Amino acid sequence: MSISEATAKEHANDPAVLCCRAEEGTVLTSHNLEDPAIFDDLVDSGLLNLDGCLKIGQVIGAALKKTCDSLTPLTVDTIDQIQETQDNSNDSIPSSAASDSANLTAPIKNGTLKISIGQGTDIHIELPLGSISSDAEPETKLLRCLTRNHYKITEVKRGPKTMIDGTTLTIREGIEADAIASQELVHDLKIDIITPDMYHTYSETILDVQPIATKEGHDLVGTGTTRVLDGVVMMVTGTDDNGVQIGEFGSSEGYLDENIMWGRPGAPDQGEIFIKTQVTIKAGTNMERPGPLAAHAATDIITEEIRQALKKVADDALIVDTQTFEQYRRPGKKKVVVVKEIMGQGAMHDNLLLPLEPVGILGAKPNVDLGNVPVMVSPLEVLDGCIHALTCIGPASKEMSRHYFREPLVLETLFDPELDLCGVLLVGSPQINAEKFYVSRRVGMTCEAMEVDGAFVTTEGFGNNHIDFASHIEQIGMRDIAVVGLSFCAKQGALVVGNKYMTHMVDNNKSEGGIENEVLANNTLCHEDAIRAIAMLKAQMSGSSVKPAERKWNPDIKKNNIELISNVTGKPIVPVENETSLPMSQKRKEKYS
Amino acid sequence: MKYGDKIIYMEGIIVEVSDGAVGIDLKGRLGYLKIPMRMLITDYEIKVGQEVGFNMSFIEQLSADVNEIYVINQIKGKEK
Repeated sequence: MSISEATAKEHANDPAVLCCRAEEGTVLTSHNLEDPAIFDDLVDSGLLNLDGCLKIGQVIGAALKKTCDSLTPLTVDTIDQIQETQDNSNDSIPSSAASDSANLTAPIKNGTLKISIGQGTDIHIELPLGSISSDAEPETKLLRCLTRNHYKITEVKRGPKTMIDGTTLTIREGIEADAIASQELVHDLKIDIITPDMYHTYSETILDVQPIATKEGHDLVGTGTTRVLDGVVMMVTGTDDNGVQIGEFGSSEGYLDENIMWGRPGAPDQGEIFIKTQVTIKAGTNMERPGPLAAHAATDIITEEIRQALKKVADDALIVDTQTFEQYRRPGKKKVVVVKEIMGQGAMHDNLLLPLEPVGILGAKPNVDLGNVPVMVSPLEVLDGCIHALTCIGPASKEMSRHYFREPLVLETLFDPELDLCGVLLVGSPQINAEKFYVSRRVGMTCEAMEVDGAFVTTEGFGNNHIDFASHIEQIGMRDIAVVGLSFCAKQGALVVGNKYMTHMVDNNKSEGGIENEVLANNTLCHEDAIRAIAMLKAQMSGSSVKPAERKWNPDIKKNNIELISNVTGKPIVPVENETSLPMSQKRKEKYS
Repeated sequence: MKYGDKIIYMEGIIVEVSDGAVGIDLKGRLGYLKIPMRMLITDYEIKVGQEVGFNMSFIEQLSADVNEIYVINQIKGKEK
């Protein structure tokens, strides 16, 4: 099919191929040329060979030397003369003093005067003295602080009362009965305390990994002081009465040490003790909304009792580490937003937002019930556990509650003095396409209203959520806002749709094979991905171009980009380990042999 | 995969809908699929009896070896 003049201009540097038969002497226009978007498939299937093919910009206006059939690549032998191409970058060279002055008024935004001169001579710039003063740089403004006090736990045991004594956490005997009684759908609950020497233990599918943290006094999530236990995490696992895994799909049941990618933001760290609940829910409710929620709620009875014990710790000498997170407004810097797409298709594709306690349940609203519409939260609320994740699939790419507590992209952006992170926009991923576009249009409108310079759009896992992920990027990009997308893609999570704004993408994959490999949190967003995304967004906001991605997944692109960033910043980036660092089970041997 | 690029158009019928998954009978009694909600692309409210279409290929064994891990997981599941 022929292309329009505008498309031809856009693809001036892409190969020129005839769309239909053209007679000798025909003066070529865009109507004689095929859309370059289809060439990759034709080349892959051997129907087209682009060796020696001229570019579209080189053939428009030239005459054909001989009659050619459709899908003939145009070469120097087929046209009379190569046309001179115009370098797009030269188009914007101001040719008169008048356009110079116009350029000076336009780019002043957020207190920044930006003058771009590609090439030129005799340039005279006059500025009124009053317009730029020495104190033009607006001051950064501290919006809020969050302090995390860490208490170390080295031993977890059972006893008559839930309490923290020094570095020992005691969990009340019989607390299981209270947890079971709290939920009608929960028929049984067992607590296993997994110490590092017991990592080679069989476990049901891990639904969630949660930090144990509580607010001091009346502090709200996202501000004030949070007490958090180090060295111990909550782990929710479970099945229904028939032994069917809750969530059922992409199960990570098996030996813990072979199924957990240690040290990922959402996963446990090596050496930590797990308080693992094994919840049994009513048969057949494992795929209904109340089922997984009941498993989480029953576990939270135990966590809540630990939180109450943590609140009672009076000895400040037990604080082993204090972290302070400060959220600044940085006027004059590039204003950016992190759009986090979270699951909202129903049942285990849900998240509880803004509980009263970090990663708690009380006070939280499921984003499915909120209609999956965008909810703006502060970066500090994210880092203080404002998301209680109910997601169950797939193990390697799902973002669990702990992931948000240690969200790498939020952390990297928050601490970047060149960026003004204005907030984190949480948007659910509904099931039906019409609803997906409904919420993504709200995302676009919110970004427009905030007047951001750039946006990150992240998603977890893969599937139909990639439809709204693409739509979010489109809605933001069409408003001339720089946008970078982050997702697990590689081979198995390849995007199902795309659009012309999806030019700056970061793949979260870490697995060797580019697949969902059932290793918990293996393919989730890590600091190295956040650093790449920030570099990409900065490049886009400053007008630099990013090379188009290759047609097929190529892990070397990530390696090269990491190297390039390290070279520029002088800070080496050591990529995280992947599943090959784990004990090699027969399962993985087969996958990678 | 020896035959991985042999793509065949398939149709099925939604026979089971839960909050998180759908069950699909492949037409012609060719089997049954149960998939998480997010792996199904939907323009309409999901109802039992709706027809679905997809491309798939033949399923091939990857090797003759038995993966003991999966066998153990099966046994553990049946013990309950």
